[in-house]
Amino acid sequence: MYHKRDKKDDEDLAIAGNIFAKITKTSALQDARSFNETPVNARKCTLILTKILYLMNQGETFTTQEATDLFFNITKLFQSKDTTLRRLVYIGIKELSKIAENVYVVTSSLTTDMNAKDDLCRPQALRALCHITDGTTFQGIERYMKQAIVDKNPAVASAALVSAHHMAKNIPEGVKRWVNEAQESVNSDNVMVQYHALGLLYHIKKTDRLAVSKFLAKYAQTGLKSPYAILMLLRIAAHLYSQDKQNGPYLSFIDKCLDHKSDLVCYEAASLLLKINCSTPINTAAAFAVCQSGLSSSRPVVRFAAIRTLNQVAMLRPTLVEYCNVELEHLITDSNRSIATLAITTLLKTGQEASVERLIKQISSFMNEISDEFKIVVVTATRKLCQKFPRKHAVMMNFLETMLRDDGGSEFKKAIVDTILHIIEDNPDAKEAGLAHLCEFIEDCEHTNLMIRILHLLGKEGPKTSRPARYIRYIYNRLILESAPFQAAAVSSLAKFGAHCEDLLPNVIVLLRRSLLEMDDEVRDRATFYLNVLLTKQKSLYNQFILNPLQVSIVDLEKSLQQYILDPKDTPFDLKTVPLATHPQNNDESAKKPTVNGMKPSSETVRVTKTAPNEVAETRRAIYEEQLAYFPEFEEAKLGPLIKSSQPVELTESETEYVVKCIKHVFKRHVVFQFDCINTCNDQILENVRVSMQVPEGYRKVCTVECPVLLYDAPGTTYSCVEIVSDNVSLYVGTFENLLLKYIVKDCDPNTGKVLDDEVGYDDEYALEDIEIVWSDFVQAIIKPDFVSAWEELGPNTEVAETFALQSFKTIDEAIKNIIYFMGLAPCERSDVVPEGKMSHSLYLSGVFHEEDEILAVAKLAVTNEGVTMKLSIRSNNLDISNFIVSIIA
Amino acid sequence: MSLFSRLLSYLGLKKKEVNILVVGLDNSGKTTILNNFKKDEDKSQEIVATIGFNVESFHVNNLTFSAFDMSGQGRYRNLWEHYFKGIHAIVFVIDSSDSLRLVVAKDELDLMLKHDEIASKPNLPLLIFANKMDLRDALSSVRISQALGLESLQERPWHIQASNAITGQGLQEGIQWLTEQLINQKK
Repeated sequence: MYHKRDKKDDEDLAIAGNIFAKITKTSALQDARSFNETPVNARKCTLILTKILYLMNQGETFTTQEATDLFFNITKLFQSKDTTLRRLVYIGIKELSKIAENVYVVTSSLTTDMNAKDDLCRPQALRALCHITDGTTFQGIERYMKQAIVDKNPAVASAALVSAHHMAKNIPEGVKRWVNEAQESVNSDNVMVQYHALGLLYHIKKTDRLAVSKFLAKYAQTGLKSPYAILMLLRIAAHLYSQDKQNGPYLSFIDKCLDHKSDLVCYEAASLLLKINCSTPINTAAAFAVCQSGLSSSRPVVRFAAIRTLNQVAMLRPTLVEYCNVELEHLITDSNRSIATLAITTLLKTGQEASVERLIKQISSFMNEISDEFKIVVVTATRKLCQKFPRKHAVMMNFLETMLRDDGGSEFKKAIVDTILHIIEDNPDAKEAGLAHLCEFIEDCEHTNLMIRILHLLGKEGPKTSRPARYIRYIYNRLILESAPFQAAAVSSLAKFGAHCEDLLPNVIVLLRRSLLEMDDEVRDRATFYLNVLLTKQKSLYNQFILNPLQVSIVDLEKSLQQYILDPKDTPFDLKTVPLATHPQNNDESAKKPTVNGMKPSSETVRVTKTAPNEVAETRRAIYEEQLAYFPEFEEAKLGPLIKSSQPVELTESETEYVVKCIKHVFKRHVVFQFDCINTCNDQILENVRVSMQVPEGYRKVCTVECPVLLYDAPGTTYSCVEIVSDNVSLYVGTFENLLLKYIVKDCDPNTGKVLDDEVGYDDEYALEDIEIVWSDFVQAIIKPDFVSAWEELGPNTEVAETFALQSFKTIDEAIKNIIYFMGLAPCERSDVVPEGKMSHSLYLSGVFHEEDEILAVAKLAVTNEGVTMKLSIRSNNLDISNFIVSIIA
Repeated sequence: MSLFSRLLSYLGLKKKEVNILVVGLDNSGKTTILNNFKKDEDKSQEIVATIGFNVESFHVNNLTFSAFDMSGQGRYRNLWEHYFKGIHAIVFVIDSSDSLRLVVAKDELDLMLKHDEIASKPNLPLLIFANKMDLRDALSSVRISQALGLESLQERPWHIQASNAITGQGLQEGIQWLTEQLINQKK
């Protein structure tokens, strides 16, 4: 009977041809019902299950119900003893474990298989098991996992270790208990088991630095057999070293590995040594020698690895890499394109001015043969080269332009456009050529955001060139030929030309008039708006509405409009009255973040991170606003829209009984302190938690919101709201002293968290550190795209100037970083980047105080013998504020 | 032996496969009972609480049993119904010494018998093991069948068998009854 059926199946197969050609989800789910048949036909079920897995991997989505039904059908297949089918069942379980419900039902079946005799199934069962285990079923399998980790069969042990690693994501506490078993497995003879065991051990201990460094020392001394495990140790050592530069043993361990017999280990050690910045010259040379010898290896993998490391190092230490220029030149003709590309880009980084042209020529010859990813590498190398040799910009511009015309993905084009933009910004000589190339590019460009960026750039830079008229044709072409988003961007660009160049104004007005009849609302609205502004012929209006719109870019404007549509507020979207509440908040965060982290906000990072933090900031604000709106107390106080929320400040030491962090929310006339408290005593419950404080002059206490119960390790929040009473700006800044966390303590059972029966509790308090409200809490950093015209518009009569000697700073960079942080203003015109070696510099800053008063500042900095001298001029709508800023700095 | 040969002649030498569902409250001895039917070399030494389910297969007489050993813990009981489809018999295991939870067992049994999949097959045999009969405070099988209200089952063939899963006492008798039922039905 069996034979007969099998034969029939074979025929079915033959007729069907490619069995994967026509599978639909419905038919597959239908077929899956035959899993319920008795006895199980292993062949047939294998085929059906394969089809289902195929569908899943093709991206077919299953609803929870479908997946659950399917899952339970699959569980029926545990009846069959067929190994192939059983292994497919494991895969099915793994795939479905994310979508189906009640997947823990197979726990026992899997543990049975784990301990069965069939070695083919045991590791697979283990791997499936880790996907379906959660906190509730963990205890049931713990014993089996421990056994499996120290199993004699290396495949089983490896699978158990890797599964444990996966489980550590969900159940970290439980996996920590397996540390002894993992330790035992590190001594295994098997290469992979050793590696995996080490990985798990590190994962368990990685939060405890002392433990990690102990175990590193231990294994570095005993010496492990597995090269993979040593590789892992090396990386851990490098990581530890980067955190704690002082520690010598790590470095000497890495150094020792350079002589290891496995080239894998040698290479990794060399690569780490070269990447760690402050290694000594001696071991750098040794590491370098390893890479150099790798360059002439016969194995492409080794060559690739070596060149890749050298390529990364080339930026940091070009002089070092120059030594192997000869080898690099050989590799340009390497049959492996990836190696050749890296060789060339490395040469570009280390190369001399004279050889640039030759290299560029060589790259262009095979540019079409390499993948986009490497093209991007080439483009970034070109950018670096341009910074290094500004005089060669013509060659490189041509090169970039050819690439721009070639086929390529959006990422690649974006990299090129970015590079050209950089060159234009850095090198005024290259500006006209670059703009011309970009104009050509937008004539035939399919990438929306690139085109819009270029149009915006043309509007910004075009009017300042010697012959602005030539760009108008390109922009107007877009206006005629493209779809609405481009037209809108083009209209804005045109308006800028009109505002900047008197002689072009009549022409621009004619063009804008024509746009009044466009189909799209947005385009028409913009045209109407700009036309009316231009017709007024008033410079100040130009500045306000055309040259210095509050948005940084057209893309952002589009975004904020979209946001407004999605989340309508009661007021209409009016740029004059609500601008700061809706949009500029974004800039604030993106401009501020890098400085808060103590990093130099280089133009590159700002550019790259511009979109991401915006969203983060926006959601952060929305979350806070929603949280605050929840309390009726605040509604009564009529807070209005949230202006700014500060970063959390810790008011306690981190290792104390209670951890309290404070976030300051600034409103129009109020400040709300949000205290996030965590109770770290597991035998206490706190009730009626609130914070009392001494309010300084200029503020009045309004209300507090208590946190009713604060359980162990669960965050709770209490709020205090104060009103700004005084109109005197100088009283805005102040210190809130004598902060006390007040609460009722009740003892509780540490295990259950329940309050002991007869416990009534007693009042207690806990002293916190003071909170300062500083100047920058009220300031929103907003970039002015055209700083100079905005500066002129405010006029000299609001200006306050003062000279300061900043003795604590040694360099201009350092001073700039601190000034930006202290004043909370945004650097404009890329003035936060100081060209190397300059002794004086002008920093332009802009921002808005308390949502109403604009502040612009020019800080002229010069290095002297006694630190940095700063001449600070401040203009603002409100003379008080200018005076005040100067006074607080003094 | 005589019975065995009689069956062979009845069935024309063919081996039959049947699926049975083993259910009951937690700690009633389901996994232990099934462990007893396995060959000596396959028997597991210690029995731990089942999470979800387990499939065991064993031969009795001329039948191959695939037994779905379901977990009896409260949170897993709602999963039983996924396995009602395509089964040929139900084995319900009761801890005879746990008189306190007998009502819970009755509830679960009634709920199961009322399920569409089971109710639509009135001749699906139901074997009840009154397990742990060796314990001092164990109830007799008669008392248990009264407590469960088995008399009220009209059509369904049922049988209650006192057993001791550790020694294996009573298991063969119970499964023998089940075998006969199944063979009679198959005919």
